[in-house]
Amino acid sequence: MNRAIINFEQKSLDTIHKYSLELLHDTGIKFPSEKALGIFKKHGFRTDGEMVFFEEKDIQKALETIPSVFTIKARNPEKDIRIGDDSYMMAPGYGPPFIIEPSGEKRNAVLDDVQKFCKLVQTSKYLDFNSSIVVQPTDVPQETAHLDILLATLLLTDKPIMGSSVSETAARDSLKLAEMIWGNTDEPVMISLVDSLSPLQYAGEMVDSLMVFAESGQPLIVHSSCSLGSTGPITIAGSLVISNATTIAGICLTQLINPGTPIVYGLGGSPTEMKTGGYINASPEDAKHVAIVTAMGRYYNIPCRSQGALTESFCLDYQAGMESAMMLTVAALSGVHVSLHACGTYGSMLAMSYEKFIADEALCGAMKKLIKPVEFTDDAFTMDLIKELSTSGNYLMEMHTMKRCRNEFFIPDLSIRTMHNKWVDMEPRDITLRAAEILEKRLAEYEKPEIDQDVEKRLVQYVKERKGA
Amino acid sequence: MSIKEITQGVLTFDAAKVKELTQTELDAGTEINSILNDGLIGAMDIVGKKFSDGELFVPEMLQAAKAMKAGLEVLKPHLSSEAVASKGTIIIGTVKGDLHDIGKNLVAMMMEGAGFDVVDLGVDIDSDKFVKAAVEHNAGVVAISALLTTTMPAMKATVIAVKEAGIAAKTIIGGAPVTEAYADQIGADGYSDDAPGAVELVRKLMAT
Repeated sequence: MNRAIINFEQKSLDTIHKYSLELLHDTGIKFPSEKALGIFKKHGFRTDGEMVFFEEKDIQKALETIPSVFTIKARNPEKDIRIGDDSYMMAPGYGPPFIIEPSGEKRNAVLDDVQKFCKLVQTSKYLDFNSSIVVQPTDVPQETAHLDILLATLLLTDKPIMGSSVSETAARDSLKLAEMIWGNTDEPVMISLVDSLSPLQYAGEMVDSLMVFAESGQPLIVHSSCSLGSTGPITIAGSLVISNATTIAGICLTQLINPGTPIVYGLGGSPTEMKTGGYINASPEDAKHVAIVTAMGRYYNIPCRSQGALTESFCLDYQAGMESAMMLTVAALSGVHVSLHACGTYGSMLAMSYEKFIADEALCGAMKKLIKPVEFTDDAFTMDLIKELSTSGNYLMEMHTMKRCRNEFFIPDLSIRTMHNKWVDMEPRDITLRAAEILEKRLAEYEKPEIDQDVEKRLVQYVKERKGA
Repeated sequence: MSIKEITQGVLTFDAAKVKELTQTELDAGTEINSILNDGLIGAMDIVGKKFSDGELFVPEMLQAAKAMKAGLEVLKPHLSSEAVASKGTIIIGTVKGDLHDIGKNLVAMMMEGAGFDVVDLGVDIDSDKFVKAAVEHNAGVVAISALLTTTMPAMKATVIAVKEAGIAAKTIIGGAPVTEAYADQIGADGYSDDAPGAVELVRKLMAT
């Protein structure tokens, strides 16, 4: 089903691609990694220092080997996820180092928060996989924080995970831990995010981890985005060319290393807040880029990823609702395959909030319902019933209605649907407090998923040894 | 009257006009201190206030700073440490392992606009380089930036290195994941969450 809401003219898409090729050929992309440069040179690419230049044929060849759909395995096979076609998978926030409390106070995120969010993802009706780094814990040594994060994610949930791409070591640790569960990494058992640095370059650690995951054939989200007016031109078209060129350069490297490595194409674009020079990412321009990424993904026939339910606000107010809903509705309706940051973020992804997580989950549920195709079966047309009831129709009384009344519509956990007098007497009424009640209930109901005891021991032992080293 | 025109040139982002008028004043024998402080730095004080009040946007503030610099380049060959008291030298850079520089560049531009000498080391700078530059330029302040939580420990290392070098330079830190509490924790002399605040902070620290 085509959920497109932005349809660029073919000639505009061709121009974006043409200018991207021009940049890739004339200006190049910076890859500050000896190993990556060696790979490019081995395949005959022109380089100059850390700059790599691409011919059209190189890009064409890379695009030909990318699968348009693939599956990521979960610890629980019933929770495997399919990426591509008409699928839409969601994961929560990724990377914020802070938590915003209901009081509005900002505090550092800690490992306990990682574990709590794992439990929320596990018990979520709507989130499909773990972002793993739901928050960056600040109370553990930073060099091995990825190990603490991955261990928590693998033990406390059995949904698919994201690998750690902060360094080559972290990528290798991610694969090692996965091997302990699946025996090997022959098939996709995680997906990892590689972000470029605008304009026109990658950080060394990102390239190093990209190479590790590609070697192993593990899927990668390769993502670029400009802050319009600061790391890219203020106009969308120009920044689009920068981001597209940088993303496809990274994708090209993955296919040189291991043709057929599954890829998710990532692209964003945010206006720079001109009053402060600051980074924002929940604007109409951001939402427009959520739609734009699907146009690019379709152009290259690669699954695509967008931003999720973002807001600049720091509390559950109208702004938070409006901005989160704007971002996620565009994602749902335009055909994005993966939304990261689908739950829980405040303030340009700088912080997570438990209450926002619960509120965004409700939004995620509504979105999943929104995009569910309309059913056109005989049972849905109900022609016999319509003819039978004619003008006397009271469908509430009918068995057909009763059979479907629990599943046909979206049933909100958080939104109210009530009479005014009941709303007046509601306790608590405030949405933040109601979200906090749901949060408490969810954490109390959480059950740790089954795992082979020996596997658990080996995972724990590996992390202990690596941290001790 | 021409000094007012220099100020106006800065406020209308007209680098060519500022350069021309500064040269005219210089040739006419006007006191350099007056051209510098009343014409150029005075203009940037107005720009700074308008920016803090939300009247001017960042790109406009940066163009004003460019215009001011055009005038400053005309005066530079004629400035000496005796003739004009420098407001002080600031070393600024992004820490080791971090390549982000948009915020750092903004702070550097605003500090230059406020009349400080700024030595911008760039990105991915280790503690030794910060200290070496501070010693070489007799810096009053070392300004350290980071965007990644994973590179924040490098801020601590740099602050310690500056202290252990036994120089008079104060340290300030900033960046999206950085907080006042972290600045206190690592013994930095100050923290600002935005560029105008960083300029005010440096003014205070240079005065002590």
